[in-house]
Amino acid sequence: MNSTPKEGVVNSTSDWGRVEYTSVRELRGPLAVIDQVSGVGWDEFVQFTLGSGEQRHGLVLEVDRGTAVVQVLQDTAGMDPARIRTLFTGSPLRIPVGPSWLGRVCNGRGEPLDGGPPVFGAGTSAVGGNPINPVRRVPPADPVLTGVSAVDALTTLVRGQKLPVFSAAGLPHLELAAQIAAQSTAGGEPFCVVFAAMGVTHADANFVRDALEERSAAGELVLFLNTADDPVIERILTPRIALTVAEELAFTGGRHVLVVMTDMTSYAEALREVSAARGEIPARRAYPGYLYSDLASLYERCGRIEGLPGSVTVLPLLTMPAGDITHPVPDLTGYITEGQIVLSREVHAKGVYPPVDALSSLSRLMRKGAGPGRTRDDHLDVAAQLLAALARARQIRELADLVGHSALSPTDRRYLDFDEAFYHGLVDQRRDELRTLEQTLERSWQVLLTLPRSQLAMLPGDLLDAHGAAEGG
Amino acid sequence: MRNPTPAGTGAALEPVRAQLLRIAKADADALLAAADQDAAATFAAAEAQAAAILDEARRQGEADAETARDAAGVRTRRAARARELAARKDCWEELGRQVVARVQALRSARSYPQLHDRLTAYVREVLGPDVHITEAPGGGVIGEVRGRRLDCGLTAFARRALERTGTEAEGLWSP
Repeated sequence: MNSTPKEGVVNSTSDWGRVEYTSVRELRGPLAVIDQVSGVGWDEFVQFTLGSGEQRHGLVLEVDRGTAVVQVLQDTAGMDPARIRTLFTGSPLRIPVGPSWLGRVCNGRGEPLDGGPPVFGAGTSAVGGNPINPVRRVPPADPVLTGVSAVDALTTLVRGQKLPVFSAAGLPHLELAAQIAAQSTAGGEPFCVVFAAMGVTHADANFVRDALEERSAAGELVLFLNTADDPVIERILTPRIALTVAEELAFTGGRHVLVVMTDMTSYAEALREVSAARGEIPARRAYPGYLYSDLASLYERCGRIEGLPGSVTVLPLLTMPAGDITHPVPDLTGYITEGQIVLSREVHAKGVYPPVDALSSLSRLMRKGAGPGRTRDDHLDVAAQLLAALARARQIRELADLVGHSALSPTDRRYLDFDEAFYHGLVDQRRDELRTLEQTLERSWQVLLTLPRSQLAMLPGDLLDAHGAAEGG
Repeated sequence: MRNPTPAGTGAALEPVRAQLLRIAKADADALLAAADQDAAATFAAAEAQAAAILDEARRQGEADAETARDAAGVRTRRAARARELAARKDCWEELGRQVVARVQALRSARSYPQLHDRLTAYVREVLGPDVHITEAPGGGVIGEVRGRRLDCGLTAFARRALERTGTEAEGLWSP
């Protein structure tokens, strides 16, 4: 190209500055169309300098024969096409990485909201991430203890696992997410939390900040807040930035990192909006056809790597629109993740917090994180017996609806008592209450002992003796 | 009209009267004792209830106090942290100002004309011979041609160098 003899060279060395384009053809909604560009690629990060000196950012959505379509992160309101300078940075978004993120509160683009300087790092990483070589993956093992009985006892979270929480509008999933983020530990090993809130209201964002203040002050938390009124494309970056920060803290810093991402349904809706702006062919419920692989590109960034310390555990929260578990977002999430924690309206109506539907919840990797040498020898047996008894109690409740309570046998009535005791004695806890695993398992035993010994066949006799299980029934 | 009782009847009924009186007295005693017991039980229950209410109130008060103390602690910690972060930001901005000022001071250096010529030649090389070159406000040059622009101003150089700063910037506030 005669007119730009050294552009390629210049744009590869940022010391000399990069060529800026002033050829903005038009601005439409969140999109800017720039003509006469060369060497620009998809997903490249863009910096806009306005006439006032204000800086905005964007991502390249489309490039065709010298014309680039860029989605402006902060929207195009107030931008004058004749006075915009556009700088293509030559690569997808990169962010500084390192422990400087700990204790910081940032927006969805990683810019400080806490009044501090920018976050510095010894190096930078592309937010798109590098997939872990499958051969170098180490299976998840050992628990992350959340201090929440319903999770620790029955759906133990395992380091390196991805375990989503399925909720519905109006249920206290944000409270649960904040409680887990505030209380979780990894058995005394270095631990921290990266909390990515996407599409939350300002009130919810404040709630999360307050709830996690202590952890933040202890330098064990990175908080990303993308509020509902922030641009949608920023929402697509937020989980990627969070995971990039988490990977560095885990695999270089040697920490066990819990990444809480809420609300993934807001994320998927943002993806749908951007996909529509790109003119892509919509698939189920107008979500893009690549929703599955896009969600997988986030969830699959968790794990442990051979020869490296630390782990990344992912806890995504998603609200099921109209409580529909077959909606594309929970449906596709369920294909990728290793189990789920389901919150239910029925349990919520009983006044139980957290309203976990124990029979619909499952941690597929629980056996790798609980039991002898990991939590307590009797943990898996107790969990299995609790679930078996709950299933029986549900059958009996259905039977009682048909034949009436008075027609039930005394043992059946004990199962109904067990059901009550399970929700009010074990699951229900205060929103600021941290229960140790010992406390959780002792409560589990107390709940189980509402049943006669003959009904506790999944528990070894010596344990029943030790806990004074009574005969009869 | 009552018939007069035969003589001696009064004496004959004396034991009956006495017995009736004893029974009545015993009944009255039993009722009194029951009433006493009832009163004692009611009193004890009331006392227990009062104690429970007091305990609950005390517990509630302690919980409220703890919540208030925690909230105050959170506020204080957040305020302290905000001040610390604001001070760090001031340091960073001051560093930025000084770096820009020092780079702009190159304008008065003896070698500046050569530097200016090199920058001009570079801009011309990159954007072609038709480029329109102007002086950058803080020294250096800016080239513009048909929708493209290259900022080789000294301020821009300083800003770019600052953007590349890594963790060494944290030396400003950490020991």
